Amino acid sequence: MATDSLPIAGTFQMAGRAEAHPAVARINDNGSVQIIAANDQRPLHYSNAQDMRYGDIIPGLPAELIFADGARFIPNDASYRWPGLSTAQRLPAWLEAHWLTVLAAVILVPGFVWLMVYKVIPSAAGASVQYLPEFVATELGEQTLDLLDRLYMEPTQVSRAQQEKITDEWHSILQRLTLPQEKYRLYFRASSIGANALALPDGSVILTDDIVELMQDHPEQLNAVLLHEIGHVEHKHSLKMLAQATATTMMFAMMFGDIDGAGEMILGVGSSLLQSAFSRDMEREADAFAYTQLHKIGHSPLDFANAMRALMTSHGVSEEHLHNHSDEGDEQNDGERARDVMEYLSSHPDTLERIQAAEEWQPEAQ
Amino acid sequence: MNPSVSPANSNAGETRTLPVIFSGKKGEYLKIWLVNMLLSILTLGIYSAWAKVRNTQYLYGHTQIEGHRLQFLATPLQILRGRIMAVIVFGLYVIISSLHPIANLVLMLLLLVALPWLLIQGLRFTLRMTAYRNVRFSFDANYGGVLLHFIVLPALGALTFGLAMPWVIQRLQKYIHDSVSFGGHNFTLNSSAGYYYKAILVCIGLAILYFIGLGIFGSGVITAISAGNPAALGGMVIIIASYFIFGYVVAAVYQSMIRNHVMNNLSIDGVASFNSSVEVKPYIWLMLSNSLLLIFTLGLAYPVTQIRKNAFLAEATLVNLQPAADHLVNTVDDKYSAFGEEAAGLFDADLSLT
Repeated sequence: MATDSLPIAGTFQMAGRAEAHPAVARINDNGSVQIIAANDQRPLHYSNAQDMRYGDIIPGLPAELIFADGARFIPNDASYRWPGLSTAQRLPAWLEAHWLTVLAAVILVPGFVWLMVYKVIPSAAGASVQYLPEFVATELGEQTLDLLDRLYMEPTQVSRAQQEKITDEWHSILQRLTLPQEKYRLYFRASSIGANALALPDGSVILTDDIVELMQDHPEQLNAVLLHEIGHVEHKHSLKMLAQATATTMMFAMMFGDIDGAGEMILGVGSSLLQSAFSRDMEREADAFAYTQLHKIGHSPLDFANAMRALMTSHGVSEEHLHNHSDEGDEQNDGERARDVMEYLSSHPDTLERIQAAEEWQPEAQ
Repeated sequence: MNPSVSPANSNAGETRTLPVIFSGKKGEYLKIWLVNMLLSILTLGIYSAWAKVRNTQYLYGHTQIEGHRLQFLATPLQILRGRIMAVIVFGLYVIISSLHPIANLVLMLLLLVALPWLLIQGLRFTLRMTAYRNVRFSFDANYGGVLLHFIVLPALGALTFGLAMPWVIQRLQKYIHDSVSFGGHNFTLNSSAGYYYKAILVCIGLAILYFIGLGIFGSGVITAISAGNPAALGGMVIIIASYFIFGYVVAAVYQSMIRNHVMNNLSIDGVASFNSSVEVKPYIWLMLSNSLLLIFTLGLAYPVTQIRKNAFLAEATLVNLQPAADHLVNTVDDKYSAFGEEAAGLFDADLSLT
């Protein structure tokens, strides 16, 4: 026996105990292995070929021989590979050591992420929200309104007469566009968020007192904004966003399951950038909806451009209201206004672009 | 492998002080990680369990004390089962909580109740799958203890306007370390709350200095903005960059101080004690450069940052092994579900012991 191979030097690590001995392993013709102590040639272990297995082959690490009871033989030479190792057991380490597969990974991994995030998940989300039952949107809308009322909204100060005027005009527009009046209900609220309108998934549209005041002399602008808002609802944007965010989070969790700390922070920043990119696309989609509907009722997309302009300047104007009463600290006043405009532009970077798009919109191009 | 680090025979009769040798290589591990990521993607995530085992085996196997390598003993199937269950639970959680704000509150309460359990399961799995010389580690915290140290004490600490927080953190870390055992020998952490206060005070001092500087510089920038000076943009960039760097400096100062304190006061009863000498300046640089690497490679340099961190920490660590270490007997069996560990990872409830 032991005619065919040289003894392999290593360590014999006993089963379930810290005791370890420098030893050699001899492989016999029938595949059995004998472990012999290096110092006194004392036999330490004997195993048939079927009662042992090989540890995983990891680059730079010795290939262990693991016996049925858990004892191990660890070769000193980290590059030594047992003759009995199968191709399948060598495959992962082989792949991991070859630059060709690494190169493929460098290209395919980001490629896959890009494909999933920009193509597969958005279109899957878009397709799947069509099948969501209506009550999901209703429930979500009602609860969001409830939450908003508790956190950010106060009862409106807009007069009943004006509310009715706006609602009546809105209803007549919906009627002309054959859109359901009972779905796109208007809610008037006072809020610190400033001049704004927001649509909830169920079709409820919230108008802040500030926007009503801002556009009281330009009802056509307010209607353009409302049409933009229900564009989000018609396209089921909030549900789509939700489905997309969930799927993307799940994918990243699967891919980078064991990333911690800084890695997570960077993934977080990445996915919020993604969300804002998608929300820009959604804004454009809702804009296009508004232009088309305005055109249908014989209005112009310019109403929307003017509304955007009014909204953009409304921040600077309201700041002026706040600070105009005192003459002192003029410089600081300017600084505050500059910062406010900058802030507004950074969260709505392409407002100017959107105004331009509205001005250039042509019905036949759509 | 260097043949000079082959295991010494267990004939030493007294405590021996040994370095922790980390031999992982950046390029080698980067390749492993990338290929495993590719295979995980091609198999729709199934291979990720194998990837996790192989990555961990690489990092553990390249960590040696006295020529013996750390062992990661979890099997891919064990991880896969846990991961599938965890993903299902997490998916349901995300879907239900985002569709139903009220149910979300209920689920958050449930999660709060489950949190101590998840923490225990996660750490218990990780430690039981970690072995040195065929002897496994273990973790035996109980629900009440974790609830007290992770939820009740921090809540009480918050009531003191944070004044008691260093003490709370010291109690918490002591509790976690004291719950670890190796071959039936308990870990003991003799840390002092005073040192945690010292570390926090150092960080507060740094913060005060930073914000004074920021105030002076920032008022200049605001003046520049209102004057419409284009240099204001550069000033903004500097402010944002300095804030980023400041975050890492404070984290590095705190972490290095605490890591040294914890390791220097940690022992395994009758088996081992540790020395840690993490230096602040190189550690700041390590954390800062690692995060820049991550940002500029969109996360793909993650394995490189892991190797750099492991090598740095190993270099700063010594282990004092007592003769009893050579005669330990394993007391832990290998049957353990990975669900808690995987779920803890997904719910961000995972802990690490460094």
